[in-house]
Amino acid sequence: MNNRSIIFSPVTRLSGLLSVEITIENSRVIEANASGAMFRGFEWMMQGRKVTDAVYLTQRICGICSQAHGAVSSYLLDELYDSELTKNAQLLRNIMFGAEFLQNHIRHFYFFSLPDFVQMPKRPPFESSSLSDFRLNLHDNERLAGHYHEAVKAAQESHQMLALFGGKAPHQHSFVYGGVAVAPTADKINQAKALIKDINEFVKGFLVPDTELIARVYGDYFRIGITPRRLLSFGLFRFGTKNEKVLLRSGVLTDNQISTLDPGLIQEDIANSWFNMENNREIRPNPYKPGAYTWIKAVKYAGQYFQVGPLARMIINGRYNGGTSTMDRIFTRSIETLLVAELIREWLDQLIPGPPPINQKEKPVKNQATATTDAMRGALLHRTNIEDENILEYKIITPTMWNFSPKDRNGNRGPVESALVDTDIYSANLLDTILGRIIRSFDPCISCATHIINCTEDMDGYTLF
Amino acid sequence: MRKEEYVNLCRKQRSNNSYSLSGTILPLVKDYLQHNRTNKLPVIWVETNDSGDNNISFMNTTYPYLDRVFSDMIDLLYSNTFMAAQGKEALYILEQAATTYKDKFVLVVEGAIPVKDNGLYNIIARTENKNITALEAVKWLSMSAKYVVAIGTCASFGGPSAARPNITGSVGVRDVVNREVINVSGCPVNPDWFVGTLAHLLMFGRPELDDLNRPKLFYEFIVHRHCQRRSCFDRGDFAERLGDIECMFSLGCVGPRTPADCPYRLWVNHVSWPVKANTPCIGCTNEDFPDGSEPFFTTLPEKRKNNQGPA
Repeated sequence: MNNRSIIFSPVTRLSGLLSVEITIENSRVIEANASGAMFRGFEWMMQGRKVTDAVYLTQRICGICSQAHGAVSSYLLDELYDSELTKNAQLLRNIMFGAEFLQNHIRHFYFFSLPDFVQMPKRPPFESSSLSDFRLNLHDNERLAGHYHEAVKAAQESHQMLALFGGKAPHQHSFVYGGVAVAPTADKINQAKALIKDINEFVKGFLVPDTELIARVYGDYFRIGITPRRLLSFGLFRFGTKNEKVLLRSGVLTDNQISTLDPGLIQEDIANSWFNMENNREIRPNPYKPGAYTWIKAVKYAGQYFQVGPLARMIINGRYNGGTSTMDRIFTRSIETLLVAELIREWLDQLIPGPPPINQKEKPVKNQATATTDAMRGALLHRTNIEDENILEYKIITPTMWNFSPKDRNGNRGPVESALVDTDIYSANLLDTILGRIIRSFDPCISCATHIINCTEDMDGYTLF
Repeated sequence: MRKEEYVNLCRKQRSNNSYSLSGTILPLVKDYLQHNRTNKLPVIWVETNDSGDNNISFMNTTYPYLDRVFSDMIDLLYSNTFMAAQGKEALYILEQAATTYKDKFVLVVEGAIPVKDNGLYNIIARTENKNITALEAVKWLSMSAKYVVAIGTCASFGGPSAARPNITGSVGVRDVVNREVINVSGCPVNPDWFVGTLAHLLMFGRPELDDLNRPKLFYEFIVHRHCQRRSCFDRGDFAERLGDIECMFSLGCVGPRTPADCPYRLWVNHVSWPVKANTPCIGCTNEDFPDGSEPFFTTLPEKRKNNQGPA
């Protein structure tokens, strides 16, 4: 086959709407354009609202990672209002945030990724005749397909643990600035311990061995979907009275060297995004922009693209020393699930039953703040300017923006597009199967990724700070 | 089971059993399917502009759990989140389902519909020839659906996706289709409200709706009526800060004008709800959510009554 262009749409089994266009030459992918196909404009929405509304409102950016936005906006408000957090508050916050990780990772593996590798029962919503290359033997295939049922329960229990303390999930209520509004009573702690015991057994008994089996049988995917080895993390699970400590470190990995992250080096680029710059200052959406192909803006660090997510976190923290392929991403997500389940168990043991660990101060001491954390999919940033507690500007950079960055004005590719390019489609009827496996290993969340930011222009893009 | 009994079961006002609704649904549905020699409920689920929180909340359904809903209650023919098929095959399945189950399927729409710029702010799929916008897809599918169900507040009324300044011109499904839409609002929807509505459609057809087309089964009474802290309100015992155990009216609670059964239904296997977490209800089932509920922590009489333009 010669040079031809193919549209892969809709890419199902992910959060939000995604289309991918690829060009193939002699069975090799030579170009890929990943298109985030929805836009809501949350950052504009935030303007003029009271800043204390941010925790509840920004959770509505995302359904599968709402607690990540809740956490980072709480850190942001902690800084603005000069919160002092007790140890109990931080433990409880991390238990809740950790529960959201478990929910996300379990659902990603079993609901989104599994049907790429395991033939599911032939009934809705699993019917498909075009997915192929299933390699498990009949017995293992049936066993893993059956684990969908266990995963349903374990993921539900993860959200039950979050709701137990947070009032509901998605979009919990108690994790706010100043601490957590719910009392960690002995009965709640014990209910949470029972839940984490179940989840832990599921992770150890199902998720990890299932991941290992798939990694073994589909070992060639350790050589497929490789990205440049540039990884970035904002760190995860904050402690300390001022959120100053972080359990999993932040950092930037280039040339196998880990360096400290400097937020001043983050830049955005809208060359191929459906946005125009107006008056040299304000960005406006323009779905008719010639040549543009996505609602996602390119985000770069020190002029280069970086991959974010569990793989970046595990490598930067010395918990994994593999590569940057499709299967490395799937594998490290499962390793991280095991780690978080263990951490929650320890945190529940350390939690001291008592009153709600919360102290909200009345007035902000600053007019501007930036907060970061890693979310399930990677680095997440919120930044705001306020006046009299009202939001003048609210900026959000989500993990999927890093991974699904479109090409910049010089044609450099972001992580997902890099991973797709050079892929060998060794049999034409495997095209969708192979592309789907690579793309889903990034755990895309398009609802999160499509935003808008006002920033200043410079040579390479728009500097944020 | 008769329809009246089912309605009472959903309302659970005087039940001495657990507050779980869906636990009792599945055996009923199974009986019904066997007895009536009928098929499961065919469902086509289209995701448009929202956060995806409603499908996540649906995954939190218990008794029946998600996999049992798929195997015993509905045939989920198209769903961007759940379906194994992808790419062109997914679109083919969508077209086939809409034809094969014409006038039989339930169209579930998750998310608001952007109408500005011909709906280009939400493209559910692309082909070589064209972009299929949410606007087009929902209009087209609604013509052959038996029922149209809006899941969540974005699909019902616009919700957060249409919050001011609403630069994408997002609206609820009711504003783009020419027929009745059943609004199962909430941000997100409680899985019981959604699974319960589907079960009603399957066994008894259209449920009785309130003036905003929400099933009265779940939305007939305001949160305030059943709130555990109602006695605090009546006595004038008001919370001073988040974390207090008194009435949350003083901290912006919208319960007095929010129809929902959260105080007794509770969330995620029926463990808690926002007031039980010592925080206010923010009125997420309402037509004017979130703008009409903000600032969230300001008392109801002082909240901004009308949407303001951007600052």
